[in-house]
This record gives sequence, structure tokens and C-alpha cells, in this order.
Amino acid sequence: MSSGKRTGVFVCHCGNNIAATVDVVKVAQEMAGEEGVVCTKDYVYMCSDPGQKAVIEAIKENRLDSVVVTCCSPNLHEKTFRDNAKAAGLNSFTCEIANIREQCSWVHKDRGVATAKAIKISRSAVRRVGRNQALEPIAVGVTRRVLVIGGGIAGIQASLDLANAGLDVVLVEKQATLGGHMIQLSETFPTLDCSQCILSPKMVEVSRHPKITLMTYSEVQEVSGYVGNFKARILRKPTFVDPETCKLCDDCSQVCPVVVPNEYELGLTARRAIYIPFAQAMPASYTLDESACLGLNPIVCGKCKDVCEAGAINYDMRPRSEIVEVGAVVVATGFDLYGQDNLGEYGHGKYEDVLDGLQFERLCSASGPTKGKVLRPSDHSEPKDVVFIQCAGSRDPAQHCAWCSKICCMYTAKHASLYKHHVPDGRAWVFYIDIRSGGKGYEEFVQRTMENDEAIYLRGRVSRLYRENGKIRVLGTDTLSGQNVEIDADMVVLALAMQPSTGTAEAAKVLKIGRDKDGFLAEAHPKLKPVESVTAGIFLAGTAQGPKDIPETVAQASAAAAKVIGLLSQPQLSHAPTVARVRKAHCTGCEMCVDACPYDAIHLANGKAVVNDVLCEGCGACSATCLRAAIEVINATPLQMNEMIEAVLNF
Amino acid sequence: MIDLGALHTQVRDILETGEVRAVVGWRRGSRGMLAEPVTIATPEEAETLVWDPTCFHNLSLTLVEERKKPSWRPGKPIAVVAKGCDARSLTVLMQENCFRRDEVYVIGVSCAGSGVLDERKLAQRLPGVEPDSAAFDGDAFVCATAGGEDRIPARELMADRCLECRDAHPKLNNVVFGEAQPRAFDPPFAALARFEQEQVGVAERWQFWQRQFERCIRCFACRSVCPMCYCEECVVDSINMAVGADTTAAEKANRIRWIERSASRADNIGYHMTRALHLAGRCIDCAECERVCPVNIPLRLLNNKLEREARVAFGYEPGASIDLPALVASFRDDDPNHFIR
Repeated sequence: MSSGKRTGVFVCHCGNNIAATVDVVKVAQEMAGEEGVVCTKDYVYMCSDPGQKAVIEAIKENRLDSVVVTCCSPNLHEKTFRDNAKAAGLNSFTCEIANIREQCSWVHKDRGVATAKAIKISRSAVRRVGRNQALEPIAVGVTRRVLVIGGGIAGIQASLDLANAGLDVVLVEKQATLGGHMIQLSETFPTLDCSQCILSPKMVEVSRHPKITLMTYSEVQEVSGYVGNFKARILRKPTFVDPETCKLCDDCSQVCPVVVPNEYELGLTARRAIYIPFAQAMPASYTLDESACLGLNPIVCGKCKDVCEAGAINYDMRPRSEIVEVGAVVVATGFDLYGQDNLGEYGHGKYEDVLDGLQFERLCSASGPTKGKVLRPSDHSEPKDVVFIQCAGSRDPAQHCAWCSKICCMYTAKHASLYKHHVPDGRAWVFYIDIRSGGKGYEEFVQRTMENDEAIYLRGRVSRLYRENGKIRVLGTDTLSGQNVEIDADMVVLALAMQPSTGTAEAAKVLKIGRDKDGFLAEAHPKLKPVESVTAGIFLAGTAQGPKDIPETVAQASAAAAKVIGLLSQPQLSHAPTVARVRKAHCTGCEMCVDACPYDAIHLANGKAVVNDVLCEGCGACSATCLRAAIEVINATPLQMNEMIEAVLNF
Repeated sequence: MIDLGALHTQVRDILETGEVRAVVGWRRGSRGMLAEPVTIATPEEAETLVWDPTCFHNLSLTLVEERKKPSWRPGKPIAVVAKGCDARSLTVLMQENCFRRDEVYVIGVSCAGSGVLDERKLAQRLPGVEPDSAAFDGDAFVCATAGGEDRIPARELMADRCLECRDAHPKLNNVVFGEAQPRAFDPPFAALARFEQEQVGVAERWQFWQRQFERCIRCFACRSVCPMCYCEECVVDSINMAVGADTTAAEKANRIRWIERSASRADNIGYHMTRALHLAGRCIDCAECERVCPVNIPLRLLNNKLEREARVAFGYEPGASIDLPALVASFRDDDPNHFIR
């Protein structure tokens, strides 16, 4: 340990959070005996205003050159105390946190054991800070443009908020039109206003907004760079139709000989190879589906091109890549319904009259395949008994998804209600585990569905369903009456679980952002950073992050936009200087660190590793991987680790 | 079987045409039956190369040693005679950018129908006798002694790693001699499985290893013979230090002593465990460390254990391809992570 240090140790009680389990006074006393420690203090709340003032004063009075605050996780108050150190005239990187709360008092019961551990943790921090270098943050410029991935309601809302704040927005959508899943819905709970009617004005606004560049039928293929300075490569797939010249006359799709299932109608109807997804599609233009087309070749077919008077169709369009530079990214890649084939026990994909929630939305929609009449797909008759099954795939950790998909209770109530409005003499049966209707006006809505619309709610699960005499026999249990129930249903609607979309999985891979155990995008902190991803500059919006309904999605999208606006309103960003440093004499150029780096911050030059300081997040993966100790993180060097270990082992 | 004449011709040719600047191979040793590594640079010396069951050495080590010399210049390739295992270690070295593929001319020799013998097994089988030569003969080793010839079944003399040979045929090669036939008598990790049957509990195994490491005299022979141990500075050796232009005085003064120099049980364990971990995903089971250990520590078990872990958990086979990502530095979405939960 180098002598001549003047270190101060500040021990926080955190009310009883620490003091109940750790003898904080003893910790302070022990630290006073450490070499180089000239001042120790304990205080009930070090992060309070008086606590912070005491830290600043002690630094000045004792002419401290380094500071250890033993308190909670550095995630919470590292910045607070580093700012204090700076205010007292020190370099902020001469302040380190010893975490004796999350890693000590909260996980131990025995006071003696916890106190001994707190002393070791504090001692190791004192040794570490003794070798800390004074550092200055690295300044980085910012690009005031935002990439929004996903053109559903979340992406639309975020784009509009960002663009209205004066930022340039590039909105990338995989499908040929904006709208996402929301545009497929008939009505929205609990007000039953028409989904299309409230969404399409926003779609129009996006398409006309001078600050928004809309890239539909496009995919983000690669993102490199770092907060403030990302570079994204976007694949623009060819639509083979020029949207400027297309007059939307529909002649092309009339002559097209190819018939394929219509994705927008979830396969309930068919479309041609050249098509417009729906009337309000944005951009308003036709798309020629290359995978369905007979060959983009006048010799093979060429009927659409022949018939197009506007001359909008061009078979020679090719995919092209565009590079956009952005300062931040909002990921709004949405959800998919839980794979229908996964629910064989509910006959899904086997019986045409077993539908999923989105298909039922289309049946109810005035613009849908049945023009708003509820008719069953098999024989186009009006179903008189419809069984709705909630939690189809949700809340079933043994076989399907462990999580609650959150919106199914509400949309099933809406479906039952809509059905009863369409078929007043029909019977709506709802199987549920329990009703989760938290939300403004939600519980009242469910009650109305039960009482006014007379939907029959049965608390229990369906064990099996099978087809018999043109009906679907549903076997279930009503656990309230303890009776087994058999219903001869004309139609069954499954409230399938919400799962992360395939686009979400792809986006996570491209952006190298984490996903949680269920595959949804991981937020940086479940409570305090719900719209930030773990990577700086990448934000999350909508169901890509977890199941949520429309108001929540909109709120989160606006929150993500607010975060981006805050980030990009700074003239410069500062980057932590605690980055990796290569010891050239030891580096053999084996490239293991290059592979291990999750931020692509290391490359090889002249056979040696070189670190890009602004890309490096100081995670230390390289240092842990390097066999030759040739790369280390500043202020967390192997030498410091060694001394911390020795401190813990009482050497 | 290898046609030694053809190998000589090939070596003479590449030296004559100047395709390579030197050839690393084996020649007859100065004592008894043992072959020894040799580097030759003239076509005339081609005939001195031999191939027999005493060609134990992993010659990629010679290449690594050459590479570390200040006189090393990139240029014409050096040729090296490589068994299946040696070729795998060359592959790992190339994977780690220690060599470029075009810097090494690999003369592959397939051990199909042969394998190398284990000196210790031989000493037990023929106590007090030092054979003049050893040769392959189908399913037996033929050892010529003063009293005649001893024909000993292959299984009894063969080195453990050859009994469990991963691949006798060098996949990485510029030219190859011998047939691509499987060699192994036993499945991979058979010796490890036997050990695990004998030492069942964790406590028993810990005791076993403590006994083993207690004997270690820290001669560092295992490190010196290992082609993968080519670091400028060894983190578990507190005396050698790599110093470069950017090495600061503070760095020199603050050289970390992770492990003390003198041999003690705790520090010996630290040394061997660190070495084993640093070889995970890199060790290709040439077992040279175990062969050269003067106190008979079964180091191969340790390395095999990690090799098996990597194979079971990640389907990773060190030395399978130059393009393989490094085991400890690579991550795939479908990697299992149950062991860290």
C-alpha cells in the first residue's frame, strides 16, 4: 500500500437498512486503523443533504485526496458522492463506493458476520481507491437524428413526439405499411372506439411530417457505434411499385393470377401477389410480394405491368442498403401471438372455427373479411354459442409461457361484449383463471360485459376440445360450482399469450441489447429505468419490452421519446473514462478480447489489440478473457484487484 | 503405415525448391531407441528424419520457440512434421494468430495403425532393459533389445492419449502420409472416466489432487513443453516479466505476485489450476505435460476434464478448425448457461 495517502471513509447507516445488521460504528472505527485513512465518519443518511455536506467539509478540512463511501450500490449514489468529491475540489474518480447494503446487510441476518463482511468490503475499497487514477470524462459529439424501429402504435407515437420536438426521425418498418397490430383491431377497450379511426390520423401525420423519414418494407440489418453516434445499415426491400406514380386504381391486383393468404386478415381471406394491405395503408401504395410473384418477368407473366396505365410497376427494382447516422435508437418491435401450433390441445390450426384473438378482431371489424358480421369460417353461419378461453398459453410455466399477457382479460371481455352486440341472441362463454382488470374504467367494463351483455363467466380451465357434428365440443370445469362443463360451441376464440415478436429477437441481436428470460427486451432497471435498454442511447417502447395495452404503450413510447430528447439536447455527451487499456508488451494478438467485447470496441492493429475509448463501456470482459493479463480496465486493474483480494483475505 | 522414403523425398523436394526454409522433424537420438526433435535446412539432411513410436514430441513447440526468437522474420514457411494431435495444436496456434496459415507447411503423418508408446509403461513391461529401437508392427510394438526382439501388444505400451486418440489423421496439412483411419482403442476421456469411478466424492478427489500437487517441485517443465504456453510473461510465475517500451516504472515496481515462487501446496495448486483454466478450449491432448513431469502428476486428467466440459456444454472441439472462435471469448445465443444460474 502506497503511503502518504489521505483517504476519508464515510459509513452510511441507511436508516436501519444497513445499521440493523451491520455495526456501522465498528466499521468506521476499523477503517480509521487502515493505512492511509485519515478521517472516518458514520451518519444516518449519508446521501441526505447534511450527509453530503459533511462529506464535502471533511474532504476540505482533512485535505483528503481520496474518498470511500460505504453505503448502497454504486448504481444509486456513486454519482452523488463523486459530485461531492468534485465540489470539494477533488477529481471525481478518486471517490469509490463500497457496497455494504445490497451485497451485505440485505443478504445477511447475523450481525457479527455481516459486520465482519462490511469491514472487508470497506477495506478492499480503501485499498482500491489508493491506486485510483484521476480521470477526466471523454467528450463525444452527438448526431441529432433518431432511429425508430417498428411502425406500430409505439413507434408511431415515439416518432411523432421526437419529430415534434424538432429532431429528425428515421422510422423503419418491416411490413409494407405502418400500423402494426393496432390497425388490425376492431374496437379498443374500455371505450369501444374504433381502432382504425384513432390510429389512421397518426399514420397520416407520420407520413406528412417534414421531420420524419418513413422507411417501410425495410429492415435494420446492422447497427454500430455508440450513444450519440450510431450508424445503422438499413435494407430497403423492393416493392416493385413506385408510390409516387401509383394511382391506387387496383387494376394490377385484379389481373394478378396468384392467390396467397392475406397476413393483415390473418389468413381469413386471400390477397394477390401485388396488393395493398388495407385501404388506409401508409404509404398508400401497392407492393409486389416477390416471394409470391410468378417471377417478375414479362415472359412468365407480367400482367400487372401490362395493365398499369400509370406505369408505376418496375420489375427491375433491387434491394438496396442505406446507411443512416443517428444519435439514439428507439426499439418498438412489438409482439407476436404465442405460436398457434403450440396449443394442439385446443385444436388450434386444426379446426377452422377455433380462432385467435386477432382473427376474431378481424371478424368484428367493419373493414374485415365479413364486413363486420360475426360469421364462423367453416360455413359462414352465425355462431350462437361462442367459447372464449383466457390464458391460452399464458400463466402456464410447465408447458407454455410463465407470464401473464396482461391484456387478455380485457380484450376477451371486449370480444364477448362485441359478440353480444353483433349476435344478441347468442351465448358468450368465457373460461378464465381470474380476472385482472386493473386500469381506469377496466373493472367497470368487465362488470358491464357480465351484467349488461350477459356473458357467462366460468372460473376454470378447458381440458380438451374436439369436433363433433359440425360443432366444437368444449370440455371444461367450473371450479366455483365444482361441476364439469360441456359446451357444444359453434366457435372458439383463444386469448393467446403475447410473446416477443421475431422482429424483437432480431432487433436484440442487431443492436446487441439484452433480453429477459422470456425473450422480451430487458430494461436497464425494472423500476427506475423502464424505458432504457442496458446499452446507452438505445431505448425501449411498447410490447417488445413486455405485455402491455395501448395506453401503456403510448405512455412508454412518449417516455422513451422524452428520454431521447433529453439525451440529444446536450451539446456534447460525456463518456466514462474507466475504459480498457492494452499493455502492448504482453499482447500476443490472439484476438480473444476482440471476440469477447460485447461493444465491438476492440480491434487489432499491427498484431496488437487497440481499444476505441468511446465504444468501451469498461465492463472488463476483455480483461477476464485475456490469458496474458495484457488488457486491463483503468481504475479496476489487476493490481487493484489483487490488493482488494488481499484486503478481503486479511493479508 | 508411413512410407518413410516418400517422406524423405518430399522433404528433400521442398528444401531443394526453396518452398520452405527449414523442416522440423525427428531424428535418431543419441541414446537408445528414442527419437529427438531436429530442425534441418539442407536437402542432404532429409534422410536423417525418422518416424517411429518414440516420436512423442509435439513439434509445434519447436515452431513456437522459433517464433519467439528476436530473429524471427516473416518469410518463407517452415515445414513441420505433425501427427494428428500436433496438427490440432498448430490449428489452435493459428486460430490465436500465433502463426498465419501460410507461415507453416504441415507435413502430416497419420498414426493410423500406430501411435506412440509410453516410456513408463515400457520400463514396467521390460524392467531394466533399454531397447535399441522400437517399431510398429500391426497391432504390436516390436522392441529390439540386446537379447533379441520383444513383441508387445500395442495396448500394453501405447500412451494413454493414443489409446483415446481424438483423430489420428492430421486434418490440417499441406501434404499427408499414411491412411485416414481411426486409431482409438478407447473412447475419448476413458482414463478420466476411470478416475471418476475410482475417486467418487468431491472430498476424495480434493485429497487426491492435494497429494498430487504436494509433490510438484515447480520445475515448470509442463509449462515449458506446452506449445500453448507461449505468453511473454506468465501470470503465475512471479520472476519473469515482459518489459516493453510502454512499461512504466510503476508497473515494474507493482508486479503482482499472484503466486509465490517457492513450491508450497497452496501455490502449486494455484499454479496448476490457473494453467488448466488457461488451457480450456486450447489443450488438444498431446499430453506432453504429463510425459515430461518428473514427479508423475497426472496432468492429463485435469486438462481432459475441461476439454470434456467444453465438449459436453458447447460442442467445442479444440483444434477442429482455424476458423473456430475461441471457447472462452465466444458466445452464441443457444449456449447453455445452466451452470451459472
